[in-house]
Amino acid sequence: MSIIREHTSATLSDAWRTINIDALDPDSSVNFDTASLHPPQPEISEADVRQLTAQVRQLLRGGDAEGALRGCLETPVYNGSEQAREAALQTVVEVLQSIKASEMTPMLKSVYGSPGGSECLDVLMKYLYKGMAATSSASGGSAPRTPTRVTPQQTGFSQIGPRPGASSESTGAAMSVLLSWHEKVVEVAGLGCIGRVMTDWRRV
Amino acid sequence: MAAPEVHHLFHNPIADHSFSADHKTLAIARDTTVELYGRAGNAFKLQDELKGHDKTVTSIDIAPNSGRIVSCSQDRNALVWEPTPQGYKPTLVLLRINRAATFVRWSPSETKFAVGSGDRLIAVCYFEEENDWWVSKHLKKPIRSTVTTVAWHPNSVLLAAGSTDAHARVFSSFIKGVDARPEPTAWGERLPFNTVCGEYMNNSAGWVHSVAFSPSGDALAFAAHDSSITVVYPSAPEQPPKAVISISTQLLPFMSLIWNGEAEIIAAGYDCEAFRFRGGIEGWQLSGAVETKGRPGLGGQREESALNMFKQMDLKGKVKDDTQLKTVHQNTITMIRPYETSGDAVAKFSSSGVDGRIVIWNV
Repeated sequence: MSIIREHTSATLSDAWRTINIDALDPDSSVNFDTASLHPPQPEISEADVRQLTAQVRQLLRGGDAEGALRGCLETPVYNGSEQAREAALQTVVEVLQSIKASEMTPMLKSVYGSPGGSECLDVLMKYLYKGMAATSSASGGSAPRTPTRVTPQQTGFSQIGPRPGASSESTGAAMSVLLSWHEKVVEVAGLGCIGRVMTDWRRV
Repeated sequence: MAAPEVHHLFHNPIADHSFSADHKTLAIARDTTVELYGRAGNAFKLQDELKGHDKTVTSIDIAPNSGRIVSCSQDRNALVWEPTPQGYKPTLVLLRINRAATFVRWSPSETKFAVGSGDRLIAVCYFEEENDWWVSKHLKKPIRSTVTTVAWHPNSVLLAAGSTDAHARVFSSFIKGVDARPEPTAWGERLPFNTVCGEYMNNSAGWVHSVAFSPSGDALAFAAHDSSITVVYPSAPEQPPKAVISISTQLLPFMSLIWNGEAEIIAAGYDCEAFRFRGGIEGWQLSGAVETKGRPGLGGQREESALNMFKQMDLKGKVKDDTQLKTVHQNTITMIRPYETSGDAVAKFSSSGVDGRIVIWNV
């Protein structure tokens, strides 16, 4: 009798239902280590990015926009702190903004045709998507500099507040630069480029 | 180049297709059944339906010499269909897997077949005389995810597999008493069961959709979801490969690829048409589409007549009918296979698509 009572009281509690049994199975897909999906990447610090930015700015001042673009795409920050990643994105956007619309396609074609160019444009596409994510989630300000999340308005109705992204002139401008580059990159590197950004585990 | 032979069988996706050696029978994996079509003049007529699976049939293969058909399905089973005078007789295979079976291929020796599965393993199946039963041995390590595709080496011992963990691997599937000891190759010399002879991944690590050994067996190609194909040239057992060449394309991903000799690969997939790659150990590149576009009768001249133009405007509200793709296949190509070969070269290959078409192409 007592055994039965103990048994029922144990089963009455349904805490056991919430145990994630997949986490306990070492072969389970939950325990799949996605780090095995790419070779180890060298860590890039914020100081390295700053140094690169200085070099890229120098190239830009010297009028070598293509060199500057290649320079910032050849060492993507696949492994680094959030600040380093943010700084690298900032550098790429800066270079993109300084290139005239008429120069975009010839420059992309020449990068694509050069050795390792396909990889470069894949990296560029990754930065474009990262830039769009940052500008659309930033609530005004000098986005993508400040990737702060949208905080709900005091009213509790976040929809009533100004739409993120549309609120500030600079965000809109940055987005339009990214969008026009996106269009040009797809023209040159094809849809395969977008597919690679989605499949690739090396995130910028 | 002669026009391709197009057979629009039905409006369902074709997961996989296989021709018999004499090209008179065509087996199609359609939904939960295997349909057998027979050639009648220029068309294919439905002859038989093999019903044995109760979930979607994922893959099918006809052994060219014995005529046995093997099919596998999401119901976790594989069936071997033995041709008898009374029709095909199914035999269940003991796969021992608890996820869907995804892909099946006969070995060139036809004494074994390999079944890839969502259970992170490959079941290598062979016939056990004393039990009168198809049994299987599992290739398990180091597969980390669903096996999407397998391909046999010409020696029937080495097996290549592609998986959703982004790796293409080469295994030994040597089974004592079934296989003769294979000649040493660049992949390995001593090959006990489940020897991993190679494990490859490309930089952007997409799911592997298709793998294939070159006709000599000394190179391996695989297509991944990052719109790339990668060719691996092994050097010697336990050594890093001589060359791993990865070509990222501007196209959509490829679902299936075949070798045409040692210097050409044909791949097809989400772009609804087949493409050629040419090269060798020093490098590979995309050399163009197999299909010649703008063939007569593909819409080009129809738009010229004014009547047709107004008809289109009236019916569809626009001048141009842009609902038709310019390619023969109107949807993703799921599988391509050699149809007619001369030596190592492929003279014709067949493709099946989500649009329910089977097309036989001249290379």
